[in-house]
Amino acid sequence: MTPAIEIDHLVKRYGDFTAVHDVSLRVESGEFFGFLGPNGAGKTTTINAIVSLSHADSGRIRVFGHDNREEWRQARRLIGLAPQEYNFDRYLSIRDVLIFQAGYFGLKGPAVRARADMLLERFGLASKANQEYTRLSGGMKRRLTLARALIHEPRLVILDEPTAGVDVELRLELWALLRELNRDGLTIFLTTHYLEEAEELCKTIAIIRDGRIVTQQPTTELIARGASLQEVFLELTRA
Amino acid sequence: MIAAERYNTVALFTLVRRELIRTMKVINQVIWPPIISTLLYVFVFGLALGNRIQSVQGVSYAQFLIPGLIMLQVIDSSYGESSSSIFQARFMNFIQEMLIAPMSAFEIVSGYVLGSLVRALLIAALITIMGALLVHTWPVNWALYLGVLCLVSLLFSSLGLIFGLMAEKFDHLAALTTFVITPLTFVGGVFTSAQMLPAALRNLELFNPIFYTIDAFRHSYTGVSYLPLPFSVSMIALLAVASYAIALRMFASGYKLRT
Repeated sequence: MTPAIEIDHLVKRYGDFTAVHDVSLRVESGEFFGFLGPNGAGKTTTINAIVSLSHADSGRIRVFGHDNREEWRQARRLIGLAPQEYNFDRYLSIRDVLIFQAGYFGLKGPAVRARADMLLERFGLASKANQEYTRLSGGMKRRLTLARALIHEPRLVILDEPTAGVDVELRLELWALLRELNRDGLTIFLTTHYLEEAEELCKTIAIIRDGRIVTQQPTTELIARGASLQEVFLELTRA
Repeated sequence: MIAAERYNTVALFTLVRRELIRTMKVINQVIWPPIISTLLYVFVFGLALGNRIQSVQGVSYAQFLIPGLIMLQVIDSSYGESSSSIFQARFMNFIQEMLIAPMSAFEIVSGYVLGSLVRALLIAALITIMGALLVHTWPVNWALYLGVLCLVSLLFSSLGLIFGLMAEKFDHLAALTTFVITPLTFVGGVFTSAQMLPAALRNLELFNPIFYTIDAFRHSYTGVSYLPLPFSVSMIALLAVASYAIALRMFASGYKLRT
């Protein structure tokens, strides 16, 4: 089966600073993949390279077999991004945030409106559909970020710290949602600083430090020696 | 549900629709002020002071004023719309919604440019109606009227995108309007005919691109222009295409958009 993400020898530099050194990764289709690392390790740079927000200096990225430079339209169409920061269009209602995002992906019509309504219902936002996002609580904004990432029915969704700053109840709610989406066949690429979250959700984990992958293996193997993920993480990421 | 592969026209027109929603949400900032200020110009300069001026290019001063005022507002609204919209999208980072989508630089730039054009046409239509009702003047050459409007809007909305990408703060956008566009527009023939100016100033006007736009546009009303019409229209078209190409190049390279 074609992998969801194949990164070969990715290098990204900012002037003299190399943010990502020769990173290679493979995420299987349908996988729940955790991408962990300390602050500044290169997680967001790698994500930005996958979604084309950043130009790689060298290396190659394929999304479900589509090169994200040569076949950028096909590659982008298959990815949904839920960034860590809220970046909604302030002039649109919550429902329109979803409908316009679908429009940018080339989708329109009654099917899109129905899907927007379905997602708003599923994420508990239906009663707020006509409001502006500024009137939503933090938890609701987090759910809207996820709904927007899913509006165009991507096969891969990239979640950059989806539960940062949310309370325990919402975190558990989001975990249940993510598990459900993954069960339905969606590939999930997750970055998080909550190691218990990665341990709970991810089948495979890669850890990046100083722009280099230090390990990539199934979660069960990573913690097989009886150590917690936190202990393994600290061991691998300490200089 | 998936759009055609070669062009994502759904995305382009989604962006145009988004720009119109934005225009309507800030209608008191962007539509009524140019209409009110034009009304004041017509009353104060055109009807009150204009009575002391003999006919200009064969029409009353108030009638002479209308095409210049349309250009003034079209230039201002085209530049303002695209520059502030792209700057806000960058500043608040919702530009990412488009950057991660299968949208080309052509589709993004054209979406903003068309959004600006629709706003400019709306303002131009309102002032045209005002001119017809208040001073009984209207275009005699509608093709020229529409053609120049579209080219001028293309030119200044493209410039708006260029400066909206370059700007680091809102102040930078205002600086270009305050120090370049507004002065050049005012001395570019909104209120005066080139024939009213001393010879030295008249020659200087040839270095003012806005002079070409007003001179050609006024021809659609009066049938008279200072410069040969094909020359003015060619100059505007050249500048518009060049500005659009630069904006396109900046978006395609990801300038200040992609790291």
